[in-house]
Amino acid sequence: MVEQANAAPNGGIAVEARDLVRRFGARVAVDGVTLRVEPGEAFGLLGANGAGKTTFIRLVTGYLLPSAGSVRVDGLSPALAARAVHARIGYVAETSRLYPELRVRGFLRFVGGARGLAGEALDAALADALERFELLAVAGRLVGNLSKGYQQRVSLAQAFLHDPPLVIVDEPTAGLDPLQQAEVRDVLASLRGRRTLLLCTHDLAEARALTSRVAILSRGRLVACGPTAEVLGAGDPLALFRESAREAS
Amino acid sequence: MIPLRALVRKELASLFGSPLAYLTLTGVALVTALIFFDHLRVYNQILFLYSSTSLGGFDADAIPDFVNLRDQVFLPVMETLGLTLIGLVPLVTMRVFAEERARQTDELLQTTLLSPTEIVLGKFAATFVFVALLLLASFVYPAASILRAGLGLEHLAAVYLGLFVLGLALASIGLACSALTASQLVAAVSAYAVAFVFYDFSWATTFTGETLGPLLDALSLHPRFGRFSEGVVRVADLVYFAGYAVVAFAVARLSLEQARVR
Amino acid sequence: MMLGELALAGLVALAFGVGSYYATGAFGAFGVVNVASGGLALAAAAVLALRGWRGFGSPDARRVLTPPLLGLCAALAGSVALERIADARDWRFDLTFERRYELAPAMHELLTSRGGDVRATLFCEQGDPRCRSTRILLETLASASGGRLAWEREELADEPESADRFGITTSNTVVLERGERFAKVERPSEGSLYEAIQRLVAEPAGFLYVARGEGEGDLRRTDDVGYSGFAAALETEGYRLRDLVLAATDEIPADASALLLLAPERELRADAFAALRRWLDGGGRLVVCLDPGQRSGIEALLAEWGLDVPDRLVVDPASGPVAGDPTGVNPIVHQFADHPVARGLGETRMVFFRGARPVIPARKPQADDDLRAVAFSSRRAWLAASGAVADGARPPERPADAAEDYQPLAATGRYPRVGSEARIVAFGDCDFAANRNLRGLYNQDLALNAVHWATERTERITLRPKALPPHQFPLTPQETLRMLYGVGLLVPELLLVAGGLAWLRRRSG
Repeated sequence: MVEQANAAPNGGIAVEARDLVRRFGARVAVDGVTLRVEPGEAFGLLGANGAGKTTFIRLVTGYLLPSAGSVRVDGLSPALAARAVHARIGYVAETSRLYPELRVRGFLRFVGGARGLAGEALDAALADALERFELLAVAGRLVGNLSKGYQQRVSLAQAFLHDPPLVIVDEPTAGLDPLQQAEVRDVLASLRGRRTLLLCTHDLAEARALTSRVAILSRGRLVACGPTAEVLGAGDPLALFRESAREAS
Repeated sequence: MIPLRALVRKELASLFGSPLAYLTLTGVALVTALIFFDHLRVYNQILFLYSSTSLGGFDADAIPDFVNLRDQVFLPVMETLGLTLIGLVPLVTMRVFAEERARQTDELLQTTLLSPTEIVLGKFAATFVFVALLLLASFVYPAASILRAGLGLEHLAAVYLGLFVLGLALASIGLACSALTASQLVAAVSAYAVAFVFYDFSWATTFTGETLGPLLDALSLHPRFGRFSEGVVRVADLVYFAGYAVVAFAVARLSLEQARVR
Repeated sequence: MMLGELALAGLVALAFGVGSYYATGAFGAFGVVNVASGGLALAAAAVLALRGWRGFGSPDARRVLTPPLLGLCAALAGSVALERIADARDWRFDLTFERRYELAPAMHELLTSRGGDVRATLFCEQGDPRCRSTRILLETLASASGGRLAWEREELADEPESADRFGITTSNTVVLERGERFAKVERPSEGSLYEAIQRLVAEPAGFLYVARGEGEGDLRRTDDVGYSGFAAALETEGYRLRDLVLAATDEIPADASALLLLAPERELRADAFAALRRWLDGGGRLVVCLDPGQRSGIEALLAEWGLDVPDRLVVDPASGPVAGDPTGVNPIVHQFADHPVARGLGETRMVFFRGARPVIPARKPQADDDLRAVAFSSRRAWLAASGAVADGARPPERPADAAEDYQPLAATGRYPRVGSEARIVAFGDCDFAANRNLRGLYNQDLALNAVHWATERTERITLRPKALPPHQFPLTPQETLRMLYGVGLLVPELLLVAGGLAWLRRRSG
């Protein structure tokens, strides 16, 4: 039985990393990162390709285990209390983690079931998700036959089925056309305040629009962390990226 | 249980969403039907020849030992089906875990309420259901013929129990190999190789001598599988085949957890 | 080279090496090189994996990985342990049509109490499918014997000396050895192995004298009406048979364990009867069978000992037709008294007689005598004249005054006397033990058990393995073809249609 999340009054739970390290052989992907995401906060994680963002996310979800340090989601360890942590998380991966041979409704029904929903609760969540993400028209179609934009909507929809207090979104608008990007951002903006949002993105404008605080990773290290306006408004924020890109290369 | 049931349903939906599953079932059913019919036809002809000279009743001496349903029909069908399973099952199992890794949908699975144990259990269960359906599809015609002939189904049931446990063992090998790689091709090739090596260890006596013969026999799939064709179901053989499933389950689970640490 | 690739290459090489062995039957250079290199590659991959292991990496990793690691070890160990236990207990289910691996009580008794130190060797040619079932049979026997019977398999081609020594000419031959003695069984079955083991372990059971000279059943005749099968069965049980021409003897030999009188057709001489009487008075043992229509004077002798054997024919309408004879004239018997001679016989273990006269325990010569009917017809049986089936086509019709009742078809008498005890077993039919009928149903068991009871070897009374016919398949070729079209091809067709629908749905999806 998954205990209730320690949600803040305004929704959301905290994520805390302390001296978090992850190595892949000799390569250090996350190097001593310490940060805290407050409950209900919209937090952005920025960095060049290979900076360690996705690895950090995977440490938070428990898909990977840390080599050293700790990470806690709502005070729980993803390594040791995986089920409890997963009950609190909705995760939208960078590239669609979908089953192309399933139909949209079937896929969402599966994910809902995998998240512990059944019966009327599942039916209601399914109906709500299909409507909220405007998937009713394609509910009977194979996921593999959908456009990228629709696939991303399905990916978003599956993350919200169980109404999680923490949503982790990795590059949600990558590969989408401007119209689709705007739609996705609108959805994410509507979440602000009602749950914790951890957003990985390359897009500075997206970060400015959607987040209240950001952190910048470079070669696994945290090089900047603070209010979005400060971190991205001071000087040339691309310098941080260039520095991190140079270091990354 | 809800997440586990959802996973099993999803696995079966994925399997049967593709025409390939139906083609596989069709192939197995058709091969069985034709092989069974062909051997039955020849058996009837031989039987007719001998029974026309038999004294009938209680005198069995007119019909040679080798003219019986078991040796003329059941055994060849079972051997053929066994080889068919060796050829088909790795193709079914190669995608089960490897495709998840390749598509990275394992990350989606492992961020749900499904524990690694449940993930492995769900995939094993769905695969075993498919193997059972494979054999059920092939069972219908021989069973109908046996019943129509007024004979009991027990011996045929023993034959198919042997095929089922062989199928489970082959599926287990395939699933374990699939869990160790992200490449379906590697999964299939390694599953074939392992099944081939384990099928009959009599080759190893060339290197180890006859003293280890009984031990190697006990480790091999084929000698134990063959016993079912005789109509004898040994609990030790059932445990042996179940051992493949248990060990493969443990290997797959370890592999899933190991991936989090690697 | 990466670990995974090395392991895969090793597996593939090993598989090819093994494959070459199966293809050619032996390891050539190709096979040896592949097996060796495959093994080396796998070993190298294992060494690399161990060397590359740097521990769990973190406390979390240790906590996460330890349970599945332990689980794998437990799975391996548990599987092996359970399998060994199940193998040692030899739990098994015989689902064959004929229950061919469920041993008869006689076999169990033979293996556990008398069949010690017997070694069985199965000589087979490679690929002989019959050896598989023989192997299972020998495993079953070895298991039932609790280790008293050991067995092994030898390739015939590898044992030319043994083949010569034992005279083996065909594959699937079992040689049973006990000490210096051996018995060869060329068509192994439970029955043939039982008889062979019997011959090896049977203790001498004494002499059986078989009366001759007045048209009795001939134990040397091997045709349908002979009794050579009965003779062989008696010798297997340990008896030694000797002929006794009653007309030429004054006394029944003192070393006779029992005397067999198999339906003499002619009247015995007075001297013979006198000898019989003296012998029975002195505690002799007699097994006698009489057929309807015979008048040998034995009836009078039996009457002196309390057994009436009227010359009538028992007609039992409840018995189905046997071997083409009209219904009822060959009683199929499934009603037996609680008597050692009929031990184990009953509703599912029957005997049949080929024309029988009643054998009725009528009166006790002395108070302590024990006369008992052993086998009975059904309640609907009645007595006809012994020649009633001259018209063989139709069953005889019951006259109005013929009462229906259970008719005793075999009876025993036990006659304790001072310092001795005479025993008589009388059957109202002798054909049931003739060659053409002996192996039918449980006839042989009844005949042998009667002799064992008469000679007081009641520990040998048992039910012996049956030589059951292999199950046939009573579907005509036309019916077989109909089943193929109606079911065999229909199922794959329906599956193909379902697959097509699935494909169409995918295309439209």
